[in-house]
Amino acid sequence: MAAAEQKKVVVHFRSTGNAPQLKQSKFKIGGNEKFLKIIDFLRRQIHQDTVFLYVNSAFSPNPDELIIDLYNNFGIDGQLVVNYASSMAWG
Amino acid sequence: MCHHDRYIVAKINFDPLSYSNYFCKYAKFREILNPELGTGIWLSGFVMGGSSVRDGTLSLGDFVASTKALVEKWEKIDVGSSLPDWQWKPRCKMDAQSEEEGYLALEGVYRNHGGRQEQIEDGNDFNDADNVTDDTWVQSSSDNVHVYDYHVVYSFSYKVPVLYFQGHHAGGQLLTLDEIKEDLPSHSLKILGESKWTFITREEHPHSSRPWFTLHPCGTSDCMKLLLEGIAEKDQQLQYLPAWLSVVGQAVGLNIPLELYGKNEIIP
Repeated sequence: MAAAEQKKVVVHFRSTGNAPQLKQSKFKIGGNEKFLKIIDFLRRQIHQDTVFLYVNSAFSPNPDELIIDLYNNFGIDGQLVVNYASSMAWG
Repeated sequence: MCHHDRYIVAKINFDPLSYSNYFCKYAKFREILNPELGTGIWLSGFVMGGSSVRDGTLSLGDFVASTKALVEKWEKIDVGSSLPDWQWKPRCKMDAQSEEEGYLALEGVYRNHGGRQEQIEDGNDFNDADNVTDDTWVQSSSDNVHVYDYHVVYSFSYKVPVLYFQGHHAGGQLLTLDEIKEDLPSHSLKILGESKWTFITREEHPHSSRPWFTLHPCGTSDCMKLLLEGIAEKDQQLQYLPAWLSVVGQAVGLNIPLELYGKNEIIP
């Protein structure tokens, strides 16, 4: 359990549509953090509040989801690919 | 003008979302530019052309097929004891039941509203994620329990699924919006504060004709387009509702099990 909590996950950000690209696209983040941390991190990086994040063209993770759970279920080649776009579902 | 007249009638009868459309940035154009919608609704059960999962929308037929796929998949995965099964509720018209008319329902989702979400109205530091999580269901006095019903209804105007929901106390009394807010995640409360008319509104439920809360569908197809982009065409219909649920679920605090998003392995 302790080992799982310490595991770091490589997150690979990919911009789609007109979302700004990142200079550096891969980051390491603690697996025991929630997906919310990735959302907030990206918002700061691209200086945009409205951003839509999704994984593997399959779903948009709940901010409460643990990063390690996402990685274990949807990680590919040792990284969790997170796509982002400037679209918004609401508002 | 015949088209136009039909359109008005159809809209009054079948599209309660039209009220909030006035506040929505895209909606009006889409409806005005597409007179076909009127006749599509008028001839109920008629499947309109022009919708495709490629542009993030669904035809009625695709919607019905997608709901069936979701019901099957939901039954196969381990959703935990706190979530009931989805059920297809056909619309009863006179004596007959129509195969294509109806909605998908997830009824009786219990939430303990004592466990508040973290970081409500918190604009500063998100780095501390060590707060209490909200998804531990604690059995407590019935006063603290909110019971939710979620319905997924096809919108002929937007050609996407729309979520309707309602909550009540254990005793049956309906929850007010203020009480529902206690169960909403913090990010939803923020959107609710900013966009009062294009997020959660109260509208007439198309099937029960009673006021339910609903999530405004005007941005749905844009998000669905992104979510389905890399998916093979044959799988898109099956993946549509799980992907859609991931978006609406987090808006209303309905936690969808990750397993639902996995590869579709539906063996006949």
